[in-house]
Amino acid sequence: MEVPPPKYAHRFLRWFCRDDYLEEIEGNLLEMYERQYEDSPEKAQRQYGWNVLRHFRPAFIRSFKVYQPNNYRAMLRHNLILTFRSFQRYKSTFLINLIGLSSGLACALLIFLWVQDELRVDKFHANNDQLYQILEQREQAGKLVLFRTTAAPTAEALAADLPEVTHATTVYNSSSSVLSVDEKDITAKGQFVGNDFFRMFSFDLVQGDAAQVLTDPSSIVISKELAQRLFGTTEEAVGKTIERKSDHSYQVSGVFRNVPRNSSMQFDFVLPFAGYQREHEWTSEWSRTSPATYVQLKPGADLASFNNKIANFVRDKTEGQIFHRTMFAQRYSDVYLYSNYENGEQSGGRITYVRLFSWVAVFILLIACINFMNLSTARASRQMKEIGVKKAVGARRGSLASRYLSESVSVATISLLLAVLLVSLLLPSFNEITGKQLTFAFDVNLILIAIGITLFTGLVAGSYPALYLSGFDPAVILKNKLNRSVGEQWTRQGLVVLQFTLSIILITAVWVVYQQVAFVQNTHLGYDKDNVLYFERLSWEEGNLKAFLGEAEKIPGVTQISSIGHDMTGHNSGTTGLQWTGRNPSDRTEFEVVRANYGTLELLDIKLKEGRTFSESFSTDTAKIIFNEAAIDYMGLTDPVGEEVELWGENREIIGVVQDFHFESLHENIKPLFIILNPNSTWNIAAKIEAGQEQETIEQLSQLSKKFYPDYPFDYWFLDQEYQALYAAEQRVAVLSKYFAGIAILISCLGLFGLAAFTAERRLKEIGIRKALGASATSIVQLLTSDFTKMVLVAITIALPISYFAAQRWLQNFAFSISLQWWYFVGAGVLVLLIAWLTVGFQTVKAAQANPVECLQDE
Amino acid sequence: MKSPSLGEFEELVLLVVAAQHDQAYGVSILEDLEEKLSKKINISAVHVALKRMEDKGFVESRFGGITSERGGRRKKYYIITAFGKQMLDQQYALRTSIYQQIPNISFG
Repeated sequence: MEVPPPKYAHRFLRWFCRDDYLEEIEGNLLEMYERQYEDSPEKAQRQYGWNVLRHFRPAFIRSFKVYQPNNYRAMLRHNLILTFRSFQRYKSTFLINLIGLSSGLACALLIFLWVQDELRVDKFHANNDQLYQILEQREQAGKLVLFRTTAAPTAEALAADLPEVTHATTVYNSSSSVLSVDEKDITAKGQFVGNDFFRMFSFDLVQGDAAQVLTDPSSIVISKELAQRLFGTTEEAVGKTIERKSDHSYQVSGVFRNVPRNSSMQFDFVLPFAGYQREHEWTSEWSRTSPATYVQLKPGADLASFNNKIANFVRDKTEGQIFHRTMFAQRYSDVYLYSNYENGEQSGGRITYVRLFSWVAVFILLIACINFMNLSTARASRQMKEIGVKKAVGARRGSLASRYLSESVSVATISLLLAVLLVSLLLPSFNEITGKQLTFAFDVNLILIAIGITLFTGLVAGSYPALYLSGFDPAVILKNKLNRSVGEQWTRQGLVVLQFTLSIILITAVWVVYQQVAFVQNTHLGYDKDNVLYFERLSWEEGNLKAFLGEAEKIPGVTQISSIGHDMTGHNSGTTGLQWTGRNPSDRTEFEVVRANYGTLELLDIKLKEGRTFSESFSTDTAKIIFNEAAIDYMGLTDPVGEEVELWGENREIIGVVQDFHFESLHENIKPLFIILNPNSTWNIAAKIEAGQEQETIEQLSQLSKKFYPDYPFDYWFLDQEYQALYAAEQRVAVLSKYFAGIAILISCLGLFGLAAFTAERRLKEIGIRKALGASATSIVQLLTSDFTKMVLVAITIALPISYFAAQRWLQNFAFSISLQWWYFVGAGVLVLLIAWLTVGFQTVKAAQANPVECLQDE
Repeated sequence: MKSPSLGEFEELVLLVVAAQHDQAYGVSILEDLEEKLSKKINISAVHVALKRMEDKGFVESRFGGITSERGGRRKKYYIITAFGKQMLDQQYALRTSIYQQIPNISFG
């Protein structure tokens, strides 16, 4: 035949056609093809394909059942035996793969558990799709600042005015309260909520009716756990009376199932907001913003048009008096992960960490897979003969590939078992670091994911050898003419480079996170947070406070004691009610308010820049005011001390200016702030205590507190600990990424170790000859290491810009951050290079010291 | 048991097989039919008809020798079986008898 018929049609026919008709059909088609070919080659080709297609019908399609099950099983067994033999023969390779893959899989599983947990937060509510939080953007000094608090009447007004709002509720956190029943005092966390609360959120009631439990202002709904703690039983709690210290008595109207851990709202009891509202006048004002507002929209309501409607809600409600606050709604279950807004734009939040760690998992798995690929291709030369013979005997490419895939999948499976073991061992410590309570429960999801990851890892890891090795021409292999192709070298080196690039990126990431966290913890905040004990002031009587402070001062371990109306760890209370000469009338910037007592500034060691602080030698200091530098700058005052400003309608003389200090986390810029003397509204007592005597001092303070406030438990915290808690997320990331980077490096080095061993072995004869000719051990080590050095250097070059940009982006989250130094990156590179040298060096030194006689004797 | 039926196209193929006695194979049948019917027929239709009739027992097949033509594939020759011939006869008799019932009127 001069020109064969179309290859694909021909192959297709052979593939589907049953054997007993193939020859006839093929023959007839070929005969027709040949005849037609003389008339018109193209037509013949077309006709042939068409004819083949027309034969694709049940009468001629062969049965595709595996008609020789024995053979199939035999092959599987053969593969398995070969797999285990190769494990035995190449123990070090097997071990390297096993350690690499199992630690990689363990990391991936841990990260998966964590990510899954993060993604599930707040998603358990039955109305999840319709729940929204109302947020406000407020214009301050030309910038939009996001607030999660709203005016108290918002919920009610939204429900009344907008048809798409089916339910709306206010949620207002009070500070922790002391509940008592029959002399038993228990500190619990509660919140005031609107009537619709239990109808919107799925905090299921085990006793009581969701629509009724909050209608009576003096009712309280408690968690099962709280019921257990208060009454010793969860049954029949309804109707019982609970006294709330500093408040009054409430009647239990319902009991709800304990708040799940994956809820961002955590509370032990709720009280009707209506009751609170009745006693607090501010809750009717639109200018005071404290509680949060949540709404439930009709199914299918359009968020964009809803946001349009509520944008000017506050302005309309106040007839234009408050015009700088724009409202909009955010999906309630998104709040947890997407909490950051920058000048009106959503800018991430915890989702950044979720993404970061997902990438880390992928990187680590990838690094482990690359090891596997590299080691298998490296080993391939030893298996060339096997492949050649098999191919010559007629093994198909598919069956050869399946041999390698089954090997890699078995390694991955064994690694999975090890990884599961590792994860269950590591989970407690992992929980401690992440501050979660993850469990390794075998739910369907997890099993599917684990199997999925394992199969994926196995297939990816085995893919390259399977495709690469099975593609050789048997004749070339058997004649031993296969020259080590440039492509193979390139691929392997490329993979090593990729692996080290990933490791270096991880290391720099860790280093930068670490530096930033250290920076945050060591930055001088402008005040002294060490050895400062904070506790809540338990009674609001002024005389009582004075007496308590006086007594406490006599405790030997207490160096200074005062009270303050600020937590020093975040925005507490702001006001726009400040007037000064030259103020722009449309300016709505909020000034932070710190209410202080005598000695507060001294205790916190806040530095005075000008003027004086509050002093008992002046009797009129309650009518004075102190600003921070940021405020003075903002107001544009040149000689502030002695000038007057108007606060809440009263004139106050500026008596001092303090240096800026960080009263919020370092994520925030320092905002304008003023300090007024108002001991009566200082809700915290701060005590500077002597280092080394903490235990006794706290004990004495506790006794004093018992004496003064016998009804209240004494709960305290240290300011520096509280401050560190602000960076809990960063710290966790720092610690976790340290481990993960360590594992990545370990896996990379394992791979390098294996590769070095292999190279040394393959060049054994070369080394032997060089030594016989008088090469020194050093020159041989140099020879063997230079390749790896080059690869690591290339990896460094690639990794540096990537990690620089990633670090830059992460640091943008902080208002105050470290500046990136060149040596962070070079340091990471050098570290990796050193580790690589160490790994490779160990192997090469061994090779270089070998006696040349031994490796050359068989020549 | 219902006796196997003979479709219209199958009947035509069977007729050609009988006419080309012992020399009938796929392509020859196809060409003969195309010429007689003066229309295009796809070879797969011929193959299907042959396969069905072989299953029903109307034809039998044998392989010819290897030649250098047809890419070295052997021809598969078909001959009609006695049962097939009987079927054709029945069919012929049936048609003739009905034909003869046509009244002798002018169909102009």
